[in-house]
Amino acid sequence: MGKTLTIDSTLRCDVLVIGAGGAGLRAATAICEQIPAKKIIALTKLTSPQKSHTTTAQGGMAAVDPKDPIDRPIFHMFDTWKGSDCSADQNVIKKVCEMGWEEVVWLEKHGMHFSRTEEGRIAKRPFGGHMLNFGDTKAFRACYEADRTGKGIMDTVWSESLRYGVSFFGQCVATELLLKDGTCIGAVIFRYPEGKFLAILAKATIMATGGNTRMYQVSSNCRGNTGDGLALALNAGLPVMALEAVQFHPTGMVGPGILASEALRGEGAILRNKDEEPFMERYAPTAKDLAPRDLISRAVVQEMREGRGLFHEGHNAPHVWLDLRHLPKEVHEKKIQEVCSFFKRFVGVDPEKDLCPVTPTAHYQMGGIPTNEFGEVQSDTQSIVPGLFACGEVAAASLHGLNRLGTNSLLELITMGRVTGERVVEYLKDAKKPEDLPPDAEHIAFNQFSTYLNARGKEKYGQIRDTLRNLMMEKVGIFRTEESLVEAIESLRELKERAMHVAVGTTSLKANQDLWQIWELNNLITVSMVIAQGALMRQESRGGHFREDYPERSNEFNYHTLASMPEFDTVTFGKRPIDMSIFEAKGERFELFDYIKREY
Amino acid sequence: MSNSYTITLEINRYDPDTALSWIQTYKVTVGGMLRFVDVLRKINDEQDPTLAWASSCEHAQCGSCGISVNGKPLLACELLVKDAVEQFNTHTFRLRPLTIAPVLRDLVVDLEKAYDRVHKAKPYLIKPAPPQPDGDEYRISPETLETYSEATRCINCFCCATACISSHDHFLGPNVTMANIVRLMDQREMAKEERMDILYREDGVYRCHTARACSFVCPKDIDVSHFLALGKEGKF
Repeated sequence: MGKTLTIDSTLRCDVLVIGAGGAGLRAATAICEQIPAKKIIALTKLTSPQKSHTTTAQGGMAAVDPKDPIDRPIFHMFDTWKGSDCSADQNVIKKVCEMGWEEVVWLEKHGMHFSRTEEGRIAKRPFGGHMLNFGDTKAFRACYEADRTGKGIMDTVWSESLRYGVSFFGQCVATELLLKDGTCIGAVIFRYPEGKFLAILAKATIMATGGNTRMYQVSSNCRGNTGDGLALALNAGLPVMALEAVQFHPTGMVGPGILASEALRGEGAILRNKDEEPFMERYAPTAKDLAPRDLISRAVVQEMREGRGLFHEGHNAPHVWLDLRHLPKEVHEKKIQEVCSFFKRFVGVDPEKDLCPVTPTAHYQMGGIPTNEFGEVQSDTQSIVPGLFACGEVAAASLHGLNRLGTNSLLELITMGRVTGERVVEYLKDAKKPEDLPPDAEHIAFNQFSTYLNARGKEKYGQIRDTLRNLMMEKVGIFRTEESLVEAIESLRELKERAMHVAVGTTSLKANQDLWQIWELNNLITVSMVIAQGALMRQESRGGHFREDYPERSNEFNYHTLASMPEFDTVTFGKRPIDMSIFEAKGERFELFDYIKREY
Repeated sequence: MSNSYTITLEINRYDPDTALSWIQTYKVTVGGMLRFVDVLRKINDEQDPTLAWASSCEHAQCGSCGISVNGKPLLACELLVKDAVEQFNTHTFRLRPLTIAPVLRDLVVDLEKAYDRVHKAKPYLIKPAPPQPDGDEYRISPETLETYSEATRCINCFCCATACISSHDHFLGPNVTMANIVRLMDQREMAKEERMDILYREDGVYRCHTARACSFVCPKDIDVSHFLALGKEGKF
């Protein structure tokens, strides 16, 4: 019966970083800055860390210079709290907002090519939900590199890691976390080119695998953002937090859903319906086109539902307009050059002359692997998993709660990446070298891959993937109801069963794209099940999670959802309290950090 | 589906288990707005799940999906079917892997190996300038930044290196050389001497024959040869 899978070899290192994007490599560089001699291995699914999803982030990284005469970190804290619909953790908000500027300067000093003001300082632009004086008027807070800020950040942390001699392992994935007596001792990894399994034993392991929204029909995420890290944690018996909080970015390009940055609206672009009415004025009279993303995405769908949307023939999909025609040529050519080129190439419109067709696109996972404010992974509300850390999009500390503000994700990658790296440095002081693995150890990964390699049946990978993506978009998307979620959960059970009957195209292990994608598909289905179950359980509307049958926020749900899935579709829930430490400290305007009403 | 096209793809196949290579022909009917990555996905879904190809962001920002189409290196994610039919004036397309790194399977090449060259250019600041007295960022005028910011847009897709007449043997390649030149133009870099050594080493900028293929094929429309010319002149 098929091939016998084995661990080809075992490697040892001090720190294993699973996922070499912005967060993972900021953590790695933070470790190297303090103890350069440590052996760090950083895994990426891609051929180089430079190709990570971080590189597609466009608009900016929020940070308030403490010396700024107008903006203040406390305004940023308030915006983040309000933006989260009162569901982020205030200890994390405070820490991240206070560190932001220091990290911007760190990036700049390590060679990032930020856009500049006439005085040669780092330039800043407005972004959705970021305001002065506790919600008064728009703030210039997003530090940016044209509309390729993520690339600037990625290039910087990648090249710094290179300088320190971090070992990059490309074209591989972690297929299993190794836990011994509750301590993480590394991971089993699978190398795509040779099709070999390796065990990597590490004193500390950092999960930084990024996002997972490829289960949605329209998504801004990379092909490989398939929830591998979340599935890894769930398969290891660990909980995940608030996965029902999926962010839909209001302006994806019609068709594939390529991101059209909020920076466009920061520079003055306006959303319009089929009558060319600037409809955001009706939904958010103060913030208008710079309201937070959850609100604008719902407004866009509402316009479509009420017959004020349009239909794109080429892509066979509904949309509204984004109007950039009135922006100066200089802005088109210098500040939003990449996005303008995407519109020209992928949609065939020229933003200087034409209205641009956009539609909401699944963009970001606000939830993730629960960590404390130091990036230590929690096994429940009381305890951590020694040796295991997480940061970036795969983690939930939680800075974003149920809705993230634009430019706060790049901020989080870099600040929480560093915080996590520094915590690892502390941890390594007393950490023991993991013992050898027993040679006959049973591995989850072998069971999975054997199943895929030996599966027989008529089911097709592509059909299941497409069914999943349509299902999640329609029933677990921007608007949700009990009925839609119950149906989705039933369909996910069927899809999981069907996925067991996909015959792999070839049973070779070398560069076997089909096998790799079937593994990814199973991860997507696993994560989708937790998203749907979490959404069903949360009978309220808050941030990016909107229930038409429970359209109001409810104090009953003032907590983070913890979800475990010991067996597929059997989800058990726990609660993690929301940290209210800014409110409880009774400092300046503390009353605004209570469960306040959210209007823009 | 509006504007549907029936196209034929002749694709280089390679099986690493048997070391056999062959050309396989696929015929597909697709919408004109589909990208070549979508077409390859459709072939996987409907005709042949074993055909391997690479991609990641699929909007020309990561440089993972470089292939050669009718001899021209480009990103499969940004070639729309309708544009391909117009540009190459045919409905038959010959797809080959990039020649800049070993083939792993079919259209997938081992770009990890190609990246070894990028690492030689030391894309970081080797020796950063002393910090500003106020501890804040260095001051760089927009005009200065403007002289090299185009070059920082490079995504290392290796399309230029594939098209380059010298980069297969004796030349580090256009993208790698340009990465070094960026840091020569960057006023925050103090290690100019070491950078000049990289620039003028045996496999350095003078191996460039100024054919300018790099500038013509760059998916990001970067005028790579302009920066190589600055390198040859020593004008930073």
